[in-house]
Formats: sequence, structure tokens, C-alpha cells
Amino acid sequence: MFMTAIRVEALRKNHGRFEAVKGISFEVAAGEVFALLGRNGAGKTTTVEVLAGFLRPDGGSVRVLGLDPSAERAEVRRRTGIMLQEAGFFPDLTVAATVDAWRGFTAAPRPRDEALELAGLAGRAGVRVRQLSGGEKRRLDLALALLGRPDVLFLDEPTTGMDPEGRAATWETVRELARRGTAVLLTTHYLEEAQRLASAMAIMDRGEIVASGGMAETLAARGGRVSFRLPAGVEAADLPLPVTVDGDEAVCRAEDPDLAAQTLLSWAAERGLRLPGLEVRAATLEDLFLDLPTSAR
Amino acid sequence: MTLTATYRLGTRLFWQDRALLLGSVLTPALIAIGLPLLMRHLRPGATGEATAQFQGTLAIILSITAFMNVAVALSARRDQLVLKRLRATTLTDGRILAGQIAATATQTVAVAVVCTVAVNLAAGVPYPANPLLYGAMVIAGSVVLATLGAAYTAAIPRAELAGAACMPVFLLSGIATGAMGPIRQALPSWVGAALDLLPTTAVVDAVRTGAVARPALLLAVWGVAGVVVIRFWFRWEPRRS
Repeated sequence: MFMTAIRVEALRKNHGRFEAVKGISFEVAAGEVFALLGRNGAGKTTTVEVLAGFLRPDGGSVRVLGLDPSAERAEVRRRTGIMLQEAGFFPDLTVAATVDAWRGFTAAPRPRDEALELAGLAGRAGVRVRQLSGGEKRRLDLALALLGRPDVLFLDEPTTGMDPEGRAATWETVRELARRGTAVLLTTHYLEEAQRLASAMAIMDRGEIVASGGMAETLAARGGRVSFRLPAGVEAADLPLPVTVDGDEAVCRAEDPDLAAQTLLSWAAERGLRLPGLEVRAATLEDLFLDLPTSAR
Repeated sequence: MTLTATYRLGTRLFWQDRALLLGSVLTPALIAIGLPLLMRHLRPGATGEATAQFQGTLAIILSITAFMNVAVALSARRDQLVLKRLRATTLTDGRILAGQIAATATQTVAVAVVCTVAVNLAAGVPYPANPLLYGAMVIAGSVVLATLGAAYTAAIPRAELAGAACMPVFLLSGIATGAMGPIRQALPSWVGAALDLLPTTAVVDAVRTGAVARPALLLAVWGVAGVVVIRFWFRWEPRRS
């Protein structure tokens, strides 16, 4: 059953005279991972902070599980987990003591060991927070966000500072939560992370959404690319398909990259040429991001 | 449930922080016990003066253990973004602060009680004639000063300045009650009248004279003022600019 967990309609938010968010709209369904992307200062964190109830909107409306997060913060908090981009811990508490303290702030919390297991911190319970690495602190952040078995999870740059193993483990945890029906709003600088985790996305620039849609559909609509090194003596204009050339690398963007590759290889074979370094792949989120106007990145 | 949890957390963080204990428990306790003891040694038989001295140092206990302690702790937690993280839980803003204020007030009352017993044993300062009034004023004073300390963080720009920013409050409180010697007598009378309006002076006046109405009214006014400042100006995060 499709159920909207987060609804944002014409949201506006100013910081003084600066318009941080300029009338954006999107929805996140239960069980969906939605990526909110954009360069620094695009308005992502402001949007998350409005949804989490830290800031009041200046215009438009936001609903989380049908509730107004600033007016009904306590009720929203009971059903949401928040992993903030920036937030501190009590450095002298151990990991276990931190989780225990937070369990006291949470209605029907998960057992401490279960939360630490989910976040990949099971072996670090006795360590003081000040001794954790940056990635481990993000994991502790995740453990705290998951304590209340949230229906909606806000993840603001969740894997910053994590090693590849930690990142992969976190992705698996997020996927599992989504499979069980948790709606996840993810902001991240790692486009690969967004592409792997999210089923829908929106790209923000200067407070506005400049691209949005289902992840698979959006990327499929952008086709793919064939890249290779230009053979000696061959100019871009000689090729049977339009390409862009960067140094000695030629890139051909096409709706059907397999067909484009066949066309290029046939052309080369007829002339006894090779296309060294030939690579065929579908469009990635990075391609989409790089194709946006420079200001939107 | 959650108020109890913040109270427990505030208490735990306080008692496991040695530097904090040195500054906000040991120092005021040494002053509160040491000065009356010194007076007894300098002027044997002057129980009345030692008693007045100890009663005056209650202002120091209140200004350090309650006011400064909570101002320093909340400024640091604000700047370290710990308050922001606490607000990401189911805790309401009121419960976050009420838990901390209650924990700090409890610590202050405990320090005052220990000092009361200690000066009785060490310097012969008699126990309060009206223990009920004494207890009520120490408790009310601790709560009000802890509330004012929380409110005062709105005027503290950065955590590292919190201790220095609290010094004027500590000095004025000590001067007002004579805990720092007869400085007050050298000041103009209007300054003395102003110092009489301090919440710490109100507590000491009640303990010294047995007065109830005026000290209670003063504490109530200060308490309300603290809550109003917190409501409108308390900062949960550091300034961005």
C-alpha cells in the first residue's frame, strides 16, 4: 500500500534575508529511500531541519506522518529518527552509557545491544565517545537514531568519515529498514551512495529543485555513454556518431549505449582501426549531476 | 520518565567530571567552611561572627555551584551541539532544561547541607534556628540561581568565556552578603540597596533574619525573569556568524 510518510508542499524558508529554500515540493512514501542532493548551501540541510521540527517554515507546508513537525514536535519525534549532519556527544560517556542515556529519552526503545549491533558498534560498547573515530561517531549517531524503531528516518550525510566497510554495512542497514517500511530521507555528497540506496531523488540548487524523479526512470531516460580513446589520426568529426572529446578521450552519449557501441565498432572495423579503452555503461547519477548547469552542482 | 532521565544524566555527568567538581564543589565548599573556621581561630569565642560569615558564604555556594555550574555546562553543550542532539530526541525543550536545572539545584543543596554540618563540627557554627525555613530557602535559592544560570547563557557568546562571564555575578553576590569582607560598607548606599535585590542576598537575608515574605517575593520575581529570558532568548545552537 502506498502511504505518504513525508509531504513537502511549496516549502519556503529564509535565514534572515537569505532565501535558503524557495518553494520546493516532494513526497516520500513509506518504505522508500529518497535522496535529496545538491552542492553545499543548496538548501538540503535547511529542508531536513524543517522536516525534523528544528525550524519553522516561512511558507508552504510540511507533514511528517500527517503531522506538523514544528507544532507537533513531540509526537513526530516519537516516530522519527534523526541523524544530524552536525551534532555533538558527551565525550566522557562510553558508547554504552550514551545509548543507555538516550534509551531513557525514547519511548519503547530497542535494547542497547540490538541498537549497537544494527549500527556495527557491538564491539565498542565500553569505549569512551572521545576515543571513537569520525566514522564510529557516525555509527553511534545511527544507533541513537534507530533506538525508537522509527517510521521515518532522516539521514544527513550518514556515512561521512566511514571506511568502505562501514559504509557498506550502513547501506545494508538502511536498505533493511526501508524493506520493513521505514521512509528514509537521505542527503549525501556521495552520489554513488544515493544511486545505490535511493529509489527516488531530487537535486536542489539555490533553494530550488532543479531535477527530480524516480532514480531508475531518471537514469534510464538519460541513456548511457560509450567512451574510448581516439585512434591516432582520427578526428571527432570523422566518427559516425556525435562525441565530445576531452584530451584524447571521446565520449558518445546515447539513449541505447549498446547500439552506439556496435555502430562505432563496425565503423572502426571497416577501417581496420581499434577503439582502445572502450567502455559502455548506463548513465549514473554523477553523469546527471555533471550535466546540470554549473550552478546546480 | 524523560525528565527523570535528563535529571539522572545531568547528575551523572556532574559527579564524574573531576574538573567541574574541583571548580564548582570543592572551591565554594572550602570557602564556605574555611572562612568561618579562620574567623574562629582569629577571634576565639566569636561564634556570632563565624555564623554571619558562613551565612554570607551561602551566596557564594549559590553563585558558583548553581549559577556558574549550569551556565558553564549549558554553554559548553550548546557549542558542542549536544543540546541540538538532545532536541533530536523525544525530549521537549522544557524537559531538557528542567532536568539540568533540577540536577544542578540538587547538587547545590547537597553542597550547602554538607557545609552546614561541616562548619558546625569544625567552627562551632550552630545549626539553623528554623531548619524548615533554612531548607526551603536553600532549595528555592538553588532552583532560582540554576534557572538564572541557564538564562544567562543567552548573554555568553562562546563556551570558553562562560567562567569569566559568571565572575561578576559571583563577586557581586559575595560582596552583597559580606562573604568577601566589609567591602559593602565602603560602597554608596544606593549600591547596597541594589545589592539587596539580588536573589543570593534574599536567601541569606531569610537565613539571617527569619524574614519570609520579601525574600520569597524577590526569589519569585527572579525565577519568573529567568524563565522569561529562557523562553525568548535561550540559544540551543552556537551563533553561525
